[in-house]
Amino acid sequence: MTSAVLDDPMTQFTNEPVRELRRAPERARLEEALAELDRRLPIAVPVTIGARVRDEPSFDSVDPSDPGRIVARATAATSREVEGAVRVAAEAQREWGARPAIERARAMSRAAGELRERRAELAALAVRECAKPWSQADADVCEAIDFLEFYARGALALDAASPLIQMPGERNTLRHRARGVAAVIAPWNFPLAILAGMTAAALVTGNAVCVKPAEQSPACGLAVVEALRQGGVPDGVIALLPGDGAVGGALVEDPAVHTIAFTGSGAVGLEILRKAASPAAGQRHLKRVIAEMGGKNCVIVDADADLDEVIPALLDSAFAFAGQKCSAASRTLVHERIADELLDRMRGALHTLRVGPAEDFETDVPPVIDPDARARIESALADLGPGSEIERAAVPAGPGYWVAPTIVAGAPADSGVVTSELFGPVLTIEPVAGVDAACEIVDGLGQALTGGLFSRDPATIERVAARTPVGNFYVNRATTGAMPGRQPFGGNRLSGMGFKAGGDEYLLQFVDALVITENTVRHGLPIE
Amino acid sequence: MEVQAEPELDADIAEIGRSLARRGHSAAALKRVPQERGLNLVGRDPKVRAALLQLVDVAPACENAADLAGHLNSYLGQVGDSGGRPVAIAAGAARVPGTRALTGQAARVAINRMAHRFIVGATPEQAAGELRLMWSHGNAISVDLLGEATLTEAEGAAYADRCDRALSTLALDARGWRANPLLESDAAGPLPRANLSVKVTALTPLVRPQAPGRGQRDAAEHLRRLLRTAAEAGAHLHVDMESMDSREMVFEMLLSILAEDEFRSGPSAGLVLQAYLRDSEEMLDEIIGWASRTERASPLTVRLVKGAYWDQEHIEAIQHGWVPPVWSEKADSDRCFERITRRLIDAFPLVRPAIASHNLRSLAHAIAYSRHRLLGIGDLELQVLRGLGDDLAEALARDGYRARVYSPVGDLVSGMAYLVRRLLENTSNDSFLADRAAGADLDSLLASP
Repeated sequence: MTSAVLDDPMTQFTNEPVRELRRAPERARLEEALAELDRRLPIAVPVTIGARVRDEPSFDSVDPSDPGRIVARATAATSREVEGAVRVAAEAQREWGARPAIERARAMSRAAGELRERRAELAALAVRECAKPWSQADADVCEAIDFLEFYARGALALDAASPLIQMPGERNTLRHRARGVAAVIAPWNFPLAILAGMTAAALVTGNAVCVKPAEQSPACGLAVVEALRQGGVPDGVIALLPGDGAVGGALVEDPAVHTIAFTGSGAVGLEILRKAASPAAGQRHLKRVIAEMGGKNCVIVDADADLDEVIPALLDSAFAFAGQKCSAASRTLVHERIADELLDRMRGALHTLRVGPAEDFETDVPPVIDPDARARIESALADLGPGSEIERAAVPAGPGYWVAPTIVAGAPADSGVVTSELFGPVLTIEPVAGVDAACEIVDGLGQALTGGLFSRDPATIERVAARTPVGNFYVNRATTGAMPGRQPFGGNRLSGMGFKAGGDEYLLQFVDALVITENTVRHGLPIE
Repeated sequence: MEVQAEPELDADIAEIGRSLARRGHSAAALKRVPQERGLNLVGRDPKVRAALLQLVDVAPACENAADLAGHLNSYLGQVGDSGGRPVAIAAGAARVPGTRALTGQAARVAINRMAHRFIVGATPEQAAGELRLMWSHGNAISVDLLGEATLTEAEGAAYADRCDRALSTLALDARGWRANPLLESDAAGPLPRANLSVKVTALTPLVRPQAPGRGQRDAAEHLRRLLRTAAEAGAHLHVDMESMDSREMVFEMLLSILAEDEFRSGPSAGLVLQAYLRDSEEMLDEIIGWASRTERASPLTVRLVKGAYWDQEHIEAIQHGWVPPVWSEKADSDRCFERITRRLIDAFPLVRPAIASHNLRSLAHAIAYSRHRLLGIGDLELQVLRGLGDDLAEALARDGYRARVYSPVGDLVSGMAYLVRRLLENTSNDSFLADRAAGADLDSLLASP
C-alpha cells in the first residue's frame, strides 16, 4: 500500500478510520484474523540489536482473559546488551540523522502502510496480549498509524520552518538537529499506539532509538519495530530490548542516551527524572525526559446535566478497557441536587456491564492486565471503611484476571480509592454543593491529566474551562479517546512533563536547535 | 435514475397535491396559523434557533423559573446582535434580577404550549379524549410512549409495562369510537383501531452496536409479551426504527419473532423502513423475501419514512471516517422514497404500505401511483406526525384517504428529546414544511425530486 506522504509530502493528515464494528462483516473479518493469529502463537520476541538477534526466551506474555494461553516468548535484554544497543544506535544515528527529513518522513509513512496492511492481525494481537476489547484494540492500531503519519508531516514542517528576523548584511538560520539516542520506555495499555508514537517522533527527527516495550506486551512492541524496519529504518537505528524494569533502568542510566520518552506510572516516572538529572562521569550532555504519567481524573456533573447522556459517558470513561487508561474517569463530582438520582441510575446501569474475555464482542469490561493489578485494586477497595457503599457488577467464572466494575459512594476523602490512581474499573460518586465546590476539589489534586464536565450552560462551561488545571478537558462527552492531531494529549502538574503527544510541539523535544548567524558584509559591501 | 416521462402520473400528482394543499377552515387549522408563523420566525436565524433548541432541551432539568431564565440568558448571550430586537429584549429581561423569574415563567409557558402541540397528553388515559377527537375527525392513530433513555434493567421493564398497559387502555377506549370503515379495513383484511408504536431500544439497556445479540436476547421476552397483549386486545404493534447503532438488532429480532408459530395468527404488526439510508432498498428486498416466506394472518405493515436521525448518522460517520449510511443529498432520499413507495404498493397485499411524510409531493406521488396500480383508496395508508402534519391529516381525511397520525404520549421531561428533534425538523433549511411556510410555490414543491 502506498502512503500519502510517499506520493506527496504535503498531503493533509487525516485520522485512520476505525472499523465500523456495527456491521457484521467487519466483525467476522476480525474473528478470522484472531483465529489465524492463534495458530501462530506463541510469538518469539528476541533481543534485536542491529543485525544481531538473540532468541533465548526468558519470560512470557500471556492472555489476561485466559492466562494459560502464552502469547509471546520473549528474551530479556541483559545489561551488557543494553549498553551494546546504545553504542550501535549512537553509531548508526550519524548517518540516519544526516539524511534529508523527507527520507525519514517517507520511512514513517511506509511503516504506517505496513501497519495498515496488518490492521486486523495487530488488533487481534492487542486483544490477546493486553485484553483490549476489539473496538479499543482496533483504535490502538489506528492511533499507531496516526502517530507515524502525523509526525512524518510534523518533521517536514519542522525542517521547513525558518521563523527568524533577517537584517541587511546578516543571515539568521534556525536548524533542528537530532539529539542522539532516545530510549523509549512504553506502556502496555496502548501497546502499539504509544510505543509507535514515542518511537516515530524520535526517529523522524533523526534520532536512533532503543525500544523497551512493557514486559506485558513484548509482541506488540516487536510488531511496531518490524513495521518501522520494513518501512526503511536501518537495522542499527532501532533496537528492540524486551524486559522488565531493569532494562528500562539500564537505558535511563546509560550515559550515551540523550532523550528518554516514557509513558507509565507516576512512581516510575519520578524515578526516571531523578536518575536522568545526574550526569554520569564523562557524560557531556543533559538528558531530556518526556514523561506521561497518570491521572486521578474527575468528571463534574452540574445540576442541569442530562443524565441520559451522562450515564453512558461515565460508564464508558470509567469502565471501558477496565479503566486501564490514564485518561479514564475515576471520580464523579456531582451536584447534590441530582446526586441521588445519578447514583441510583448508575448502580442500575453498572449491572448492564458484562465482564468477559476481550475477544468476545459481547464483552463490555475485559480483565485487568495481570494479577498484581487485580490485587492492587482489590486491596484499595478492601481498605474502604464501613461507611462506604460499594456496588459491584458480576464477574464470570474462569481464570481471567477479572475485576468487577465498581461504583463507590461515601468513600472517605483520604481513602486510596479517592486519592490514588487505581488504574482499574472503579468509579467514585461524590455529591458536591455545586460546580465551584467541585472545581476546588479538582484544584486541590496533584495530578491534572483529563477532566470532564457535564453542563448545559455555556457560562458554566467557560467558567470551569478557565480554571481547570487539567491538560485535556472534555465537555459533555466521555473523557477518553484522544486522537492525534484532533486532541493532542498530555497532562499538567504531577501528570507529566513535556508537550502533548499528537500535537504540533511534540517533536521539538527530540531535537536541539542551532541558530546560525552569518555576517554577509565584506568591506562594507553585501556579498549576497 | 427515473428519467422516463410519466405524463399521466405527473398530472395526477399535481392534481392530488393541489387538493391536499388547500388549507382547511376548521377551528383547529386556524389556530395553527400563528404558531407556524412563530416557528418560521425562529427558523430564519441559525443562532436564535440554536438558542431555542438549547432552551427547550434544558428546560426539564432547571430547578425553577429563575434557573431557566439564567440559561436563557446564557444562550441568548451567544446569539449576539443577529437576533434583533426581540432577542435583545428577552436577554435584558433574563439578566435583570427583577424580571428574571417572570421571564423564566414566560419561557416555561411557551415551551409547555409548544410541547402540547407535539405531545397529545402525559399518559394514555389523559390522552384518551384527544385521541377520540382525532378519530372522530377521520384520522387513525398510532400512539408512541415517550420516555427517557433506558439505561437499567428496571427502566427497560418499566417501559415494557407502560406499553403493555397502553395497549389494553387504547384497545378499551377504542371500542367506544364511532365506526369508520375507511380506517378499519383494507382489501387485506381488518385493521385494528388501537395501534401502538414501540422502541426496542427502550425495552433493553443492552443495545450494543457491535453485539446485537445482547439486546436481542434481553428485549425478546418483553417484545413477545407485548405481542401477546396486542393479540389479545386486538391491537396493532408497530416497532419503530432508530439509528444505525440499533438497526441490525431491531430488524433481525422483530422478523424472527414474528415468524414464530405463536405469532403467525396475530397480532397485526409492522416495522419501519428509512429511505435516507443508502441500503434501504436492500432492506426492502429482505422484508419482501421474509414476507413471501412467512405465512401470517395479517400482512406486515411497512411504514416508509425518510428518517429522523440524519444529522446524528452523518456526524457520527464523518467523525469516525466512515462513509455515511445516509444519502448526502436530500433529493437522493426523496428519489429513494419514491422508488420504495412504488415497490411497497406493488407488493400489496403481501405487505401493507404506510407512507409517512409531510412532503406533499411524496404523499401525492404515493396516492397517484396506487391509483395507477388500481389499488382501492383504502389500501394505501398515509401517516403524519402530530403537531407537524395536522393540516395534512385534516386534508387527507377530507379527500377520503386513510391518514394515521403518529401521536406521542408522555410527560414533558421524557418528551424533550423528541420535541427537540421535531423542532429541528420543522426549522431545518431543507425542510418541506419550512419551505412551504416561507411561501415556496406549489409547482416547485410538487416537482419530481
